[in-house]
Amino acid sequence: MKENLLIVDDDAHLRESLAEVLDLDGFKCFQAGTAKEGLEMAKLHHPQVVILDIQLPDSSGFQICQDLRRTSKQMVLIMMTGRFLSSEEKTQGFGLGADDYITKPFDLKELSVRIKQLLSRAKNK
Amino acid sequence: MTPSNKRGKLFYKFFYFFLLISLGPLGVVGYYFINLTQESLKKASLNHQKSLAIGFSDAVYNYVSTFRNILVEATRMEDFASMNTARQNSSLNHLMQLQAAFLELSVFNLQGRETVRLGRFLGREPEMRDFSQKNSFLLALRDGEYVGELDRFLGSYPTVTVGVQVLNPATYKPAGILMAKLSLNGISSMLAQAFPQSGRSRAAVMGSNGFLIAHSDRKQVFKPDARLPKAVEEILLSHDEDQGGGEIALPDGERFLGAFATVKDLAWVVYVQEPITMAYQTAREMQGRISWVFLAVVGFVLSLSFLVSLLITQPIQALKEASVKLGRGEFEDLPQLKMPNDEIGELAQTFNQMSDSLRVKTAELFKAKEDLEKFNHTLENRVEARTRELRAAQDELITKERLAAIGQMASVVGHEIRNPLAVINNSVYFIKTKLATGGEVDPKISKHISIIESEIQQANGIISEILTFARTRELKPEVQSANTFLEELLSSYPFPSHIQLVQDFASENPVVFIDPDEMKQCLRNLIGNAIEVMPGGGVLKVSTVLVQQGWVRMDVADTGPGIPADILEKIFAPFFTTKARGTGLGLAVVRKVLDRHKGKVEVSSVVGKGTTFSLYLPLASRPSSMTVDSRQ
Repeated sequence: MKENLLIVDDDAHLRESLAEVLDLDGFKCFQAGTAKEGLEMAKLHHPQVVILDIQLPDSSGFQICQDLRRTSKQMVLIMMTGRFLSSEEKTQGFGLGADDYITKPFDLKELSVRIKQLLSRAKNK
Repeated sequence: MTPSNKRGKLFYKFFYFFLLISLGPLGVVGYYFINLTQESLKKASLNHQKSLAIGFSDAVYNYVSTFRNILVEATRMEDFASMNTARQNSSLNHLMQLQAAFLELSVFNLQGRETVRLGRFLGREPEMRDFSQKNSFLLALRDGEYVGELDRFLGSYPTVTVGVQVLNPATYKPAGILMAKLSLNGISSMLAQAFPQSGRSRAAVMGSNGFLIAHSDRKQVFKPDARLPKAVEEILLSHDEDQGGGEIALPDGERFLGAFATVKDLAWVVYVQEPITMAYQTAREMQGRISWVFLAVVGFVLSLSFLVSLLITQPIQALKEASVKLGRGEFEDLPQLKMPNDEIGELAQTFNQMSDSLRVKTAELFKAKEDLEKFNHTLENRVEARTRELRAAQDELITKERLAAIGQMASVVGHEIRNPLAVINNSVYFIKTKLATGGEVDPKISKHISIIESEIQQANGIISEILTFARTRELKPEVQSANTFLEELLSSYPFPSHIQLVQDFASENPVVFIDPDEMKQCLRNLIGNAIEVMPGGGVLKVSTVLVQQGWVRMDVADTGPGIPADILEKIFAPFFTTKARGTGLGLAVVRKVLDRHKGKVEVSSVVGKGTTFSLYLPLASRPSSMTVDSRQ
């Protein structure tokens, strides 16, 4: 069965293109443009994987990351960013429950492999 | 300087002062002295004339009395009193022959009848006269003798009548009168002898009625109406004194010094005159002599005053000149002051002390001025240095602000360009994947998809570079051996085969405190550039040199075409590039990294020969201690 995957980003094109690509890889993709919408979607669809932009219009990506991690320990949380992150930021993100970081633009093959790896690890937990 | 200026006013003041105090009294005294001598000399001259007059009045008296005595003697001759006319005649004749002055001799009896009459110019039987009523007879009878009745014999010779009593020797009673007409020519002869014609002094004897009795110039006397000049005669006739004198001016302008004296018992006056010029000769001579003496004294005083004034004012003048020089600050040119041992000398000494002190003070002032100038210079230098520092700080600030702006921009780029890039990337991937599942794909479509993917990568690379430059990550320095650091870097760098690498590392093995990641980036940029500028091959030399004052220098030198000077100064500016493709951030990153390491980067380039980039880094510890460490 297909795994649910939630993409939270304020850029609709990015959300959709990423969703289409990951759909090819066999994920059922949901999309959210804001943090609030993202949290609602997560409650509704219980995604196994959430790809979160660090900067969202209504909240910090880290905040949602923390909220989502509280709801599920198995959920794979991947943070997206367009800029360099300092090691402090990265450390903080990991501390709040993030599993990985990806930098735009993505190497989509690599991304697919990473998601699958993280998923399989999460299932074994 | 003119001589008058050189002597100065003081000199003339002294000079005139001395002249005044010496010549003033001298003039007054001289004037009185001359007047006094003139007066005394004139008085003496007058006295001399007077004494002459008195002397001659005596002589005249003696003359007359001598002949009277002769007459008295004659009456006492034997039998003369008997009034024997014959005997008397004989005696008188004898007397007349003896004495030429007797011009006539007569004897009168008591009745006044002439009994004997003898005369030089009478005939043989002269007329006998009756003198009974005549003054001469009556007075002679009464007084015993008579002198008077001045007359000019034959209208020419002045004569005087002298009568004496003929006494009876037995009774001492008069028996008759012996009368004589006495020539007075003798007096003129006497005067002429004393006052010769050659001289200019004249003498005369005058009777009471102005009758001229005698004159030193006899021609004056032998005239029937002979008289003295009117002016003289008036004075002589109007006098009351027995003697006197004074200056007389004649109508013709001649001036004389005259004196007179009355002849004793007779009413005659002896008059003596001398021209004023002669009389006052002595006075004039004396005046002349005194004038000469006075002139000599004036001359002497003049020169003495001059000398004294000079003596007093010269040191003052010298002092003044020295003061003027001192005032101009000509210390070296001050004259040696030789001064007298007095107040002026003390003044000179004080002046010398003052000039010495002034010299010292002026030297101090000059020194202070020099110091001040030096200090000013130093201050200027410091201000300049400080200004340079400030400008550098300002430049740095501007650079920082620019970097901050670039960072801001990079952040925007990161978000706003990477997002669309990601979308494009995703979409291309989707298309590629979809096409692959649909069987055979047009090779041209595959090629273009590859081109899009490549360009996405290129764009992402540029963005990464900009973000790297703008990134403000914390520096993480470590102590590293500069040589080892470079060796490791170079060994892992993929050098193309046409590049010849030369390494030359400092034997001291300097240690630096660097962030390896940043420093690697920085050196890679330089090495990359060097390789790029030598596409046809060349030498890349990497070296370390220990420079003085705790610095190590890393050089990256190429043998490329070099950089022109106008470009050389811009190469470290962000986004400056000469390449067809490139962000222009490579060297900007180099400078930023060196700045962050408190070091600096320098470039030297010779067009046609190559370019050398020198990175200066502070040593982690002093080279000397390093040397010691390496020995242990």
